[in-house]
Amino acid sequence: MRFDRGNTSFVLVAALLLQWAVALPAIAADSPLRQIIDEQVRAAWQKQKIQPATPSEDGEFLRRIYLDLTGVIPTYEQARAFLDDASADKRSKLIDQLLGDPLYARHQADVWDQILVGRNPPEDRVRKREGFQRFLREQFEKNTPYDKLVGQLLRAEGNTVDDGAPVYLVQFERKAEDAIESVTQTFLGVQLQCARCHDHPYEPWTQVDFYGMAAFLTRLELVTVGKDGQQSKLAMGEKNSGELNFTPAKQQLPGKKGMPIAPKFLAATQPVGEPELPKDFKEAKFPENQPPVKPQFSRREKLIEWIVARDNPYFARAAVNRIWAQFMGRGFIHPVDDMKKSDKPSHPALLDAMAMQFAAHDFDMKWLIREIVSSQAYQLSGTGSVKDAAPLWYERARVRPLSAEEMLESWRIATGYDDAIAKTGKDKDAAKNRFHGVGWDYVVRFFGSSVTGEGDFQGGLQEHLYLNNGELGRLITSEKGGLIDAIAQSQDTMEAKIDRLFVSLLSRLPREEERTKFAEYLAGDEKKNERLKEAIWAMMTCSEFRFNH
Amino acid sequence: MQGFCSPREHMSRRLLLKGLTFAGVGAAAGPVMNWGNLVDAPAFAAQAKKKSKQCILLWMNGGASQFETFDMKVGRPTGGPNREIKTNLPGYHVCELLPKMAQQMDKVTVIRSMHTSEIDHPGGIHLMHTGYSKSATVRFPEIGAIVAKYNGSEDANLPQFIKISSNGDSGSGFLGPRYAPFSMGHDGNLPTFAARSIDVKVDDRRQELRDFLEENYAKRHAAETSRQHREANAAALRLQQARDVFKVDDEWKKNKELYGDSLFGKQCMLARRLIESGVPFVEVGQSGYDTHADNFTGHKGLLPPMDHAWAGLLTDLQQRGLLDNTLVIWMGEIGRTPSINNRDGRDHYVKAWTTVLAGAGVKRGLIYGETDADGIDVKSNPVTEGDYFATIYSALGINYADENYAGVRPIPLAPFKSKVVKEILA
Repeated sequence: MRFDRGNTSFVLVAALLLQWAVALPAIAADSPLRQIIDEQVRAAWQKQKIQPATPSEDGEFLRRIYLDLTGVIPTYEQARAFLDDASADKRSKLIDQLLGDPLYARHQADVWDQILVGRNPPEDRVRKREGFQRFLREQFEKNTPYDKLVGQLLRAEGNTVDDGAPVYLVQFERKAEDAIESVTQTFLGVQLQCARCHDHPYEPWTQVDFYGMAAFLTRLELVTVGKDGQQSKLAMGEKNSGELNFTPAKQQLPGKKGMPIAPKFLAATQPVGEPELPKDFKEAKFPENQPPVKPQFSRREKLIEWIVARDNPYFARAAVNRIWAQFMGRGFIHPVDDMKKSDKPSHPALLDAMAMQFAAHDFDMKWLIREIVSSQAYQLSGTGSVKDAAPLWYERARVRPLSAEEMLESWRIATGYDDAIAKTGKDKDAAKNRFHGVGWDYVVRFFGSSVTGEGDFQGGLQEHLYLNNGELGRLITSEKGGLIDAIAQSQDTMEAKIDRLFVSLLSRLPREEERTKFAEYLAGDEKKNERLKEAIWAMMTCSEFRFNH
Repeated sequence: MQGFCSPREHMSRRLLLKGLTFAGVGAAAGPVMNWGNLVDAPAFAAQAKKKSKQCILLWMNGGASQFETFDMKVGRPTGGPNREIKTNLPGYHVCELLPKMAQQMDKVTVIRSMHTSEIDHPGGIHLMHTGYSKSATVRFPEIGAIVAKYNGSEDANLPQFIKISSNGDSGSGFLGPRYAPFSMGHDGNLPTFAARSIDVKVDDRRQELRDFLEENYAKRHAAETSRQHREANAAALRLQQARDVFKVDDEWKKNKELYGDSLFGKQCMLARRLIESGVPFVEVGQSGYDTHADNFTGHKGLLPPMDHAWAGLLTDLQQRGLLDNTLVIWMGEIGRTPSINNRDGRDHYVKAWTTVLAGAGVKRGLIYGETDADGIDVKSNPVTEGDYFATIYSALGINYADENYAGVRPIPLAPFKSKVVKEILA
């Protein structure tokens, strides 16, 4: 190892390996999940002959857990309190505290809003979706069990503005094929889209599987139930009749109409039986401005029951694989929404155990997240020589870019902007808009999607034009209550001032060479606080800030 | 040029190259351009011959009328009042509003048999920028992002996909931010935040402090992400070196006559400068073609300056030896109806309409496809959007069947089952 502390870390790692080099016991179903995680991850290291990173330092863990659970870095006071706390159980206390923080719900809502709808949906009607974001936030506040949450998204009761939940299905309008692609991919980890045009070449899915599933959603109908200013309130009703027509690829001829296909669950041999409609049945149109009446027999309800059932072979596995990846960088099967039968999970027994326990805990998301972040695997250091942002065997912490939301809000926390400006009423936007201080449009444009189609981080030239020449100066405020004021006014030694700078921005104390360098830099100040501002800028824009590691 | 370069920028470029070599991707990064000679046209032209093909898209926003341009139906009920004029291709006539382009027809391929599938503006703009219809589940990249990825260079000083006053909001889609368009305002100004906002000396010293943090971080964290973050910053700093290419005022004085004294003309000249400087894809837009009312007056105002600028661009590229390496595409998102409505306008039409290609990879002086007597249907050789994009990518030396991934889903550059129109390729 090339690090200064190479020898120490080697000894530490060797000691850890010795301690863990015991034969792996069979998984006891009632062991705490965090214990199973560590046993299984360790077993894989041994098998792969991998040397894991050392446990994370306090500052490293602190910043990581704040960002992962609440979407922001800690304030100076919060960071200092944790770093100075000498108690042995301070990490688990912090985890509990953050899981109970209102910001936990807000951050998880941000994450799921991106999973379910995405940054720039092509359809205008779901671009503005405060109702949906509020709905998600409430579910995470209440810790709604995951199966119930998915049920609500698909049942889509109420309207897009007042209730929010319908937004997920409304984005697909009445295109049952688009909707089912997303539903199976998001909630079951099964990608069916190949089978839309032809039987899947490598997986068992046929066109009958695809259209059989789509048939469950083919009776959905978009209904306008009212207006809120310019925005339509939309609901997703379901009719009593209506069929999806389908012709197998090989029999398609110009002008030939398809045959109705019966709704059938994935991999089922028989379609779902449904009561026949009376011969003289005539479908009434949903009247405008009224909540759509539910059908006598609901295909959608049948689909929901099947998806969230405890014995559904896909549902719990897809959920734990995704949530695990949220914190660990990659799923046991990766990408998380393509759990092919042909792909062997990296840690099969762990995936099984996690899915089983998640269902046994009534799909309690907070419980699952607590178990994951309490594991030693999650709490490993982010240092080491693996180049992968998210290592295959979880031998060190993953590195992920901060989202636009995380960047802006963490910048404001670091510079003390909210205390110095927002709370004093000098920024008129602050009361109205969670994203204030600098133009939110710019932040979204430059930091909103920093990954490729394959989910890898990709640097962009324009991001740096913004960092170098953009509006960050507005956040680096000299007003009373901000970081600059706190440092400039204090009677502390230069060393203590630099400590404050590092803890405020990077949630850790500086290393010796950093203290020296920054002391030199700040000493050259010609104009008042000019160099202090530059130093803050450098820390706001560097990799250590840009990523969670 | 000197005014923009600080010693640090030269250094960061060297460091970058070193970094690339260290990471073992130097060889794949493509030829390093000689940026010291930005204005040395012949040297560039010589270099251009060895390079990947480049592309200028002239985007007619709103959808120009085929009846008032390249598919005249004079004397028919659908023909409209304009007269036709001779071109330098025997037997082929174009609209009287295009006198300059009439003399350039020996350089172009006209496709009169476009047959596409999106009839409204948002859908059409997406379709004709990506080759695909909008999807709720996939964010498709625009042609500019694709050309930037396949024909661009990793360590160029200039952005590889530049839009001047243009439309299309798909950007780089799933290809990611590296290929995102660099969008300039309609006045030809650099985009927001492209200009350095503080004193060079101050910027240099704070960047140096930041480098210190970056190096310390990189020593401990080997993940690729940090290297990519630093490289992108190096690219942002290199842009400061190349900014002179955007300053067109001096050259514009000399070229006003060639391009015609219009904003669009000036933008076309800038596009040529960017191509000359190695940018693989430049899009220039002209708006106002959505003539549901007063179609003929509308085109009478829009076409002459466009005609002059386009002809000037082709002439200029040719004279500089750049046309063989540069594909110039002329198109909008839709065509216009054969029928003339009661407001003297033409509405949206995609069953039979026209686009024009010139330069790299395509035949010169070819009139491809034909519509019926009234321009209602394609009579021969229909070209769908898929075939069109497959053909364009082929002309640019890009394998149109190559796949990129949106998540786990392989997406070919041109839609599955698209066919190249071989007759068009040179």
